[in-house]
Amino acid sequence: MNSILEIANLGVTFSTESGDVPAVRGVSLRVEPGETLALVGESGSGKSTVALAALGLLPGNARASGGVSVGGTDVVGAGEAELSRLRGRTASMVFQEPATALDPLTRIGKQIAEVVRNHQDVSRQEAAAEAVALLRRVGIPEPERRASAFPFQLSGGQRQRVVIAMAIANSPGLLVADEPTTALDVTVQAEILDLLRALAADSGTGVLLVTHNMGVVADFADRVAVMLEGEIVETGAVEDVLLRPTHEYTRRLLAAVPRLAVTGSGSGSAVSGEAEGAPVVELRDVSVQFGRGPRAVRALEGVSLTVRAGETVGLVGESGSGKSTAARVALGLVAPESGGVSLFGANLRRTRGRARRALLAGVGVVLQDPVASLDARMSVAECVAEPLRVHRRGMGAVERRERVAEVLELVRLPRELARRGPRELSGGQRQRVSLARALVLEPRLLVADEPTSALDVSVQRTVLEVITELQAELGFACLFVSHDLAVVQRFAGRVVVMRGGRVEEQGPTMSTLLHPETEYTRRLIAAVPVPDPVLQRERRERRLALGTGAGA
Amino acid sequence: MDTLLYLTRRIAQALVVILIVTVVVFGLLHALPGGPARGILGPQATQQQITLFNHDQGLDRPLPVQYLYYLRQLLHGDLGTSYTLNEAVSRLIEQRLPKTLVLTVLSAVLGLLLAIPLGMWQAVRRNKPADYVITTLSFVAYSTPVYFLGLVLVLVFTQVLRWFPSQAPQGDTVAQVFADPVALVLPVVTGAASMVAVFSRYMRASTLENLSEDYVRTARAGGSRPGAILWRHVFRNSLTPVIAMLGYYVPVLFGGALVVEQLFNYPGMGLLFWSAAQSSDYPVLLGCVLVISVATVVGTLLADVVQRIVDPRVKAGRT
Amino acid sequence: MSVQSASRWGLVAQFPAPLIARFARNKLAVAGITVVVLFFLFCFVGPLLYSTDQIHTDLTQVNLRPSGAHWLGTDAVGHDELGRLMYGGKVSLLVGLAAGVLATVIGTLWGSIAGYAGGWVDAVMMRVVDAGIAIPALFILLVVSAITTPGVPGLIVILGVVSWLVPSRLVRAETLTLKSRDYVLTLRAIGGSHSRAITRHILPNSVSTIVVAATFQVADAILLVAYVSYLGLGVQPPSTDWGGMLSAGLTAAYSGRWWLIVPPGLAIILVVCAFNAIGDGLRDAFDVRGRG
Repeated sequence: MNSILEIANLGVTFSTESGDVPAVRGVSLRVEPGETLALVGESGSGKSTVALAALGLLPGNARASGGVSVGGTDVVGAGEAELSRLRGRTASMVFQEPATALDPLTRIGKQIAEVVRNHQDVSRQEAAAEAVALLRRVGIPEPERRASAFPFQLSGGQRQRVVIAMAIANSPGLLVADEPTTALDVTVQAEILDLLRALAADSGTGVLLVTHNMGVVADFADRVAVMLEGEIVETGAVEDVLLRPTHEYTRRLLAAVPRLAVTGSGSGSAVSGEAEGAPVVELRDVSVQFGRGPRAVRALEGVSLTVRAGETVGLVGESGSGKSTAARVALGLVAPESGGVSLFGANLRRTRGRARRALLAGVGVVLQDPVASLDARMSVAECVAEPLRVHRRGMGAVERRERVAEVLELVRLPRELARRGPRELSGGQRQRVSLARALVLEPRLLVADEPTSALDVSVQRTVLEVITELQAELGFACLFVSHDLAVVQRFAGRVVVMRGGRVEEQGPTMSTLLHPETEYTRRLIAAVPVPDPVLQRERRERRLALGTGAGA
Repeated sequence: MDTLLYLTRRIAQALVVILIVTVVVFGLLHALPGGPARGILGPQATQQQITLFNHDQGLDRPLPVQYLYYLRQLLHGDLGTSYTLNEAVSRLIEQRLPKTLVLTVLSAVLGLLLAIPLGMWQAVRRNKPADYVITTLSFVAYSTPVYFLGLVLVLVFTQVLRWFPSQAPQGDTVAQVFADPVALVLPVVTGAASMVAVFSRYMRASTLENLSEDYVRTARAGGSRPGAILWRHVFRNSLTPVIAMLGYYVPVLFGGALVVEQLFNYPGMGLLFWSAAQSSDYPVLLGCVLVISVATVVGTLLADVVQRIVDPRVKAGRT
Repeated sequence: MSVQSASRWGLVAQFPAPLIARFARNKLAVAGITVVVLFFLFCFVGPLLYSTDQIHTDLTQVNLRPSGAHWLGTDAVGHDELGRLMYGGKVSLLVGLAAGVLATVIGTLWGSIAGYAGGWVDAVMMRVVDAGIAIPALFILLVVSAITTPGVPGLIVILGVVSWLVPSRLVRAETLTLKSRDYVLTLRAIGGSHSRAITRHILPNSVSTIVVAATFQVADAILLVAYVSYLGLGVQPPSTDWGGMLSAGLTAAYSGRWWLIVPPGLAIILVVCAFNAIGDGLRDAFDVRGRG
């Protein structure tokens, strides 16, 4: 009957340099003890703001109105002292970035003990022992030894476990998790979600889960609230909202989510089968080492892969798998220690000077970060025209302008955008400008390194559609690097799965992803959550039966 | 094992830097009017003596060879002879350097003891009136020529208030210097003023940066109070980059010592240098430059090593 | 004008508006600009309104207290002190400005080449910088003063050569960051040249760092000029600068002739302070990292 979290008509406004920005308007929701409510939305929806408001952690330039009640205590009007008593005890929070969430200069055992001693009157030794117990509970192996480790000695997943340990230290009634797994690899994500689910079930904790990932929602939540531009547009039980959405936005959002086909023969893959054209780029037994001596890192070990004319090859893997490094080797940005790299048939390592430039003119590049991929000091037209200036020096200004306008239209952007600066564009628009720049010389190969990973799901869909269309029209080959298996499945004809600098397996997309040969690939696919709660529950049970890697 | 590698690399780097300094000093030595011969034999030497000297010392050999001779001399601790004081330069420096070190170390310690809490306090009270006042005072302290500041302090505290003597302790040894601590106050304060200004700004900036880091939010979310967060977490993280800056500030400290010693008539290396400049005593001048530069390189090396000990990430090669 | 250069102008026009607003909010920085402008007017326009003879001495008017005839009194050889303040200010400001800019230019070239080249070139170039930093500027200046007395151009060069080290480290750090930005990587991947990367991307994006560094360098240079005269390296009489006035008046301080040292001292403090405040404000407005 008594909700652990009750939000009534919450409004939050930020005062910024450019005036007041209302981030949250009239949001009402409740979380009952023992249940998980997922708060979903794209960037700018206000979901993180609601989460921060629940613990009174809004930044100084935010003004909150309305009621937020946690375990009976009112948060909005409360003073800092009262809030300090509440935080870490009645309610705790887990944040998105494990890399920066912990004090780099304090041992993790001490940081957990600090939270314990904030709310329990215990001695230092008792708190330290409690910290070790908590580390064990969150699945950190050898907790007595690890308690004296510094955060940088732990992996991302382990650090997130430490943050979770801090959050459950005093058995809170409410756990607020703001994108707790977004920064983690998909296999680690699955483990962290398992952990959170188990902990919540054990202690009857209510969970407010903020996320943009529908798969995570299907895996974890009991109820869902969908946010758009600061307001809640739909609420309901997870099966209802995800399988039978009523609001138009929810429907659009769900339709835009790339779904990993996990059953049967699978349809919906754009291109399939073996391509027969000549190899456009080829890596033969390539090894790459960064640094020297004891600190050296073997980024790639004996990697071989081929992209043929007109086909799309998806390069997938988790962080540290070497997929980005492989793409950079293909682009000639990284020189391999051993092995051969050929681009359009020519040995890239031997070709220099003018011949090399001529080769590189046939390549288009799109990288991940929409902000850093365009030089903000140049206009869109200048950005897109840069390859023309590098390779077609003789081209006149008028001709250049025409070509820029042409290619902007190809990526479905209006000509007028040419005069604007990148700062005025949205993330999706910037990536399309990046794409336009990549295509302006009519390349035979497009190398795209996580081109849509930093974009919202609905925007992602547009950009991917544009790439697919253009590939069909212009016929370029594409090396597509991504960590998102669903996207790759839809888009690539062949897939190369990488792990730890080596190629784990490769082959036609559908057969490789539906019937993987290696255990790692099987685990990888099993860990990707699908936005269908019924299906996801089955998959989860099957995955847990498979057994997962420990303590990552 | 890692530490050993790091130390070796750093020491090698420091040696390269010292080598470059010797090249600079050697270059200056040869830029002197009349060349090094005159520098060593003195302005009274005749042309015949100079030619003989040049031949003896191999000064008619090509420059790179001379440089090697010079290096050999240095390695034997021979910095030449002062011709106004008629003593080996190395002995003079040996006598004076410890006293200068007393002055600079005391100034540095005082400077840091004041600057660090001040900077942190400013960061916590950002943009409030107190912050502005201290920022303005810092700017003023930083923008005042040390000799002017010293002069003002002398006028106020010795002429008007008569709290302190206007001359620094005149002992020959370090012990004698400490026998008259009251006279040390003004010189040390003058030397520390600029340091307080600069390092309080660094500390303020570093603390501000750390206050907006994620780990502060995590600690808040765990129920820790602002004061506790500041001392337990923010303080150490803010201190690390500031310590790193210390190494680069050592030459500034020595430069300040030069002026302070001259102003307060403190018999350290700075005053020696000053007098040598007045009398164009080149061996002393160049010997001092060399020694001070080496001291700076060593100081930077020490600061790096301290940072490595204090910050476990640096030890692992990650930040 | 092509579309490109016109749009570049357009961008430049839109770009500074939020910057100027942010800068204007920093009261100290705005005060700094005011002070600098006032001093420039004082030193360059002042003599036109209040002209005095700064070349010839007048031994009948020696060491007079401030009065109606001489607002700031006279010095040991009869020059009017207020006029001398303007006269000396010209040298202090111009030499400081020129030396600061020279130091920044040298430092930018050195630092950007070292940062972009990387590898052993970078290592060697930075060891040279380390060596330069290890030798305290004042010591070198004293040595130089023992050897020669340069004129104004020589002084500017010497000060510039002694001060370019700090900007070089800042620009190198900035270059390292920019070198690995996506848009530079993309340019290299499609065959763009090193020179294009540097001239079209790295240098324009380093402008904010360079401008901030230049402002702090000018502040440091004006202060250094003041030291230089104290060390005997400065301009020769009848020319003078604020440091020289301070130096000449130091003995006078003990005999109570405050008007000989307070005005030049205050002038130095105010102008150097002002430039530091401007640099600080610019750095916050541009959101640039670190100073030295």
